[in-house]
Amino acid sequence: MVTAETAAEPGGKAFAVLGLFETAEDILAAAQGLRDKGLGRLEAYTPYPVHGLDAALGHRRSPLAGMVLVMGFIGAVSAFLFQMWATGIDYPIVVGGKAPMAWQAFIPILFEVMVLFATFTAGLGMLLLMNRLPFYGHPILSSASIGKITRDRFALSLEAYGGAFDAREARAALEEAGATEVEVLPAPEPSGPWSANYLLKGFFAVGAACLVAGYATYWAVKLFPVLPPMVHMEDQPKLDPQEPSALFRDGRGMQSPPSGTVARGFLPYSPAAPEEAAGLANPLPRTEPVLDRGQKAYRTHCAVCHGVLGDGVPTLTASYGAKPANLQARAIRELSDGKIYDAIVRGKNAMPSYAPHLSVEDRWSVVHYVRVLQRAQNATDEDLERGGRP
Amino acid sequence: MIRSPRWLLASAAVGAAGVGASWSFSPPERFWSNWLLWFLFFATLALGALFLVALEHLVGARWSVPLRRMPERLSSLLFLAAALGAAALLSLPVLYPWTRPEAHHDPFVVGKLHAWLNAPFFSARFVACVALWVLSYWVLVRGSLRQDATADPALTVRFRRFAPAFMAIYAVSVTLLAFDWLSSLDPAWYSDIFGVYVFAGSFLSGLAATALGAVHLLERGRLGGVRRDHLYNLGGFLFAFTVFWSYIGFAQYMLMWYADLPEEVYWYADRTGSGWQFVVLGLAVVHFVIPFFALIPREKKGEHGPLKRIAALYLLAHLLDLYWLIFPSNFKSPVFSWPEASFAIFFVSVGFLWVRRSMAMGRDAPEGDPFLKEGLEFRL
Repeated sequence: MVTAETAAEPGGKAFAVLGLFETAEDILAAAQGLRDKGLGRLEAYTPYPVHGLDAALGHRRSPLAGMVLVMGFIGAVSAFLFQMWATGIDYPIVVGGKAPMAWQAFIPILFEVMVLFATFTAGLGMLLLMNRLPFYGHPILSSASIGKITRDRFALSLEAYGGAFDAREARAALEEAGATEVEVLPAPEPSGPWSANYLLKGFFAVGAACLVAGYATYWAVKLFPVLPPMVHMEDQPKLDPQEPSALFRDGRGMQSPPSGTVARGFLPYSPAAPEEAAGLANPLPRTEPVLDRGQKAYRTHCAVCHGVLGDGVPTLTASYGAKPANLQARAIRELSDGKIYDAIVRGKNAMPSYAPHLSVEDRWSVVHYVRVLQRAQNATDEDLERGGRP
Repeated sequence: MIRSPRWLLASAAVGAAGVGASWSFSPPERFWSNWLLWFLFFATLALGALFLVALEHLVGARWSVPLRRMPERLSSLLFLAAALGAAALLSLPVLYPWTRPEAHHDPFVVGKLHAWLNAPFFSARFVACVALWVLSYWVLVRGSLRQDATADPALTVRFRRFAPAFMAIYAVSVTLLAFDWLSSLDPAWYSDIFGVYVFAGSFLSGLAATALGAVHLLERGRLGGVRRDHLYNLGGFLFAFTVFWSYIGFAQYMLMWYADLPEEVYWYADRTGSGWQFVVLGLAVVHFVIPFFALIPREKKGEHGPLKRIAALYLLAHLLDLYWLIFPSNFKSPVFSWPEASFAIFFVSVGFLWVRRSMAMGRDAPEGDPFLKEGLEFRL
């Protein structure tokens, strides 16, 4: 029986007592007996992984797996609820014609956030809980036996862990269990302020402080906007409506058109009431370019509500409160061109005026195109006989 | 020689009577949809098993050597699948709209008819696939059986040389199974990732059948030396590919749902409406939710009971998956009554009879494999 030279004073404060064994089978056999004596926390150091060691040391299953499961679940649920709240409740928004609460769109982000929470829990949990970071040096690394342990010896150590730890008793137990060498590891000296241990802790503290300061700044700027953040888009050299400008003599940014002029395509509309407009005739011929123009304008401005076929089935399925008119209805089929034109200019019920968006020619082209849609949906036998030709 | 138990023969006979009655009394599309389902079930399962064998040779895995005879035996189902597939060629005029004259007037289909979707080329592709399957089976499985007696390490070298070629064969045949037999039931519809989706189902069913067979043999004291650690790896593979299958399935769905193109979404509209929504929900539960949560705990992946139950569930889920892929093309809402039940009874009995017979192939473990000892020593 050889005892290591570096053994601490008997009865002095010890971190652990280390016993070296010849083979992996020896420590597996010795572990059970040592565990039952309950002299300290039993730990093993081996040059390679030994199967069955976890069970022999009586290590409980790590709680990390459960934590990862719970955090993954929290990540998934919170990502889903957040998206639901943001795009479905707080600011309902239609994207790509989907309902504001279309769950399918939330799944990829749910998945990613779940993975993010789970992996961060696993990684940080391993470092902080299992490896007890920040922790710079383990006493085993400065032991006399470390060379042997990393080469061809297997060590069991009884570590001081709470309560009273008697190094002498532990040494005796290890020798009795068949350890060929026993070494008492002295408790590490309390480290000075400039030791690596403190520097590491300081590093973590600075990191935590940065995090806190970042959050504090964010909320301070958000809640007390002394300095407006991010003004790049707000400050633009253009003139907003109703803004003064030194460029013009009258000091106004908005200039009226010179008197007696009319913008191209926007002749003033004279009828005072829809009835007066009934007699207006469509000035445009029914040619292909006109119908193309009407189709383009119709699909841009009208189809959103009146439907591509003019049947009042909106292409956007979200409800807007008002039900758009069915342009295929008999009442509208029987309206004169002038009345349809008037509805475009003046608006009708919930529909606003489209005069600012459509020039005069656009409006009359749309009227032609609406007639085309009505004819297509109400084809007669003669139409079919002509084989679709007008 | 293994004697077939009488009850299995009896149930096969009962099932055969039902299948015959279905041929006479139910509409042809119903008979052939069922037929296609079981053809694809056996084909994907057997190919998945052979893929597992080739994967071991490709990456030089050792842990799976003691288990390898199981997927090798299961891959003999390829011959059953080839016979069923040859008969299924008769279903082309019944199930596949592109064989009908009106396909020439469908703007989404007409462009595909000349180069790809025509009966002679379709059959030629299938025959070529079968020839490649037989070749792969000959090299990988027959060779391995020969090695039992000779213990010739040169054969192992040969397997390893052939394994990369099999990967190409497997990729092409699974893609063709998916595109030709499944996707062209709706010829206008197309999805690039559909082959990968079918691959996930194929590998999962091969793995599940392997796990089921391995546990079955272990419980009867065969497969000596195979430990928890080996089963754990099978469980781990099952777990990983559960997520893979779901990921691919959902990715395909979500992209099509987002784009909302008429020639794509109609496939999903057919499969999520008028009753099919319950089938697809059930599929999500049995193919993802239950196995995923059941396989999360570490112990469950290597335990006989849970692994066996999950593996059986996977085979059921794969059947449901194929049912959901095949039937909505010809049936507005889900159908299940005596024709489906008879087909199930018949083909499950035939499958069991076949697999029982195949258990006589070679030893329970590939005893001539030079890496068997190393494989048995595998620990997690």
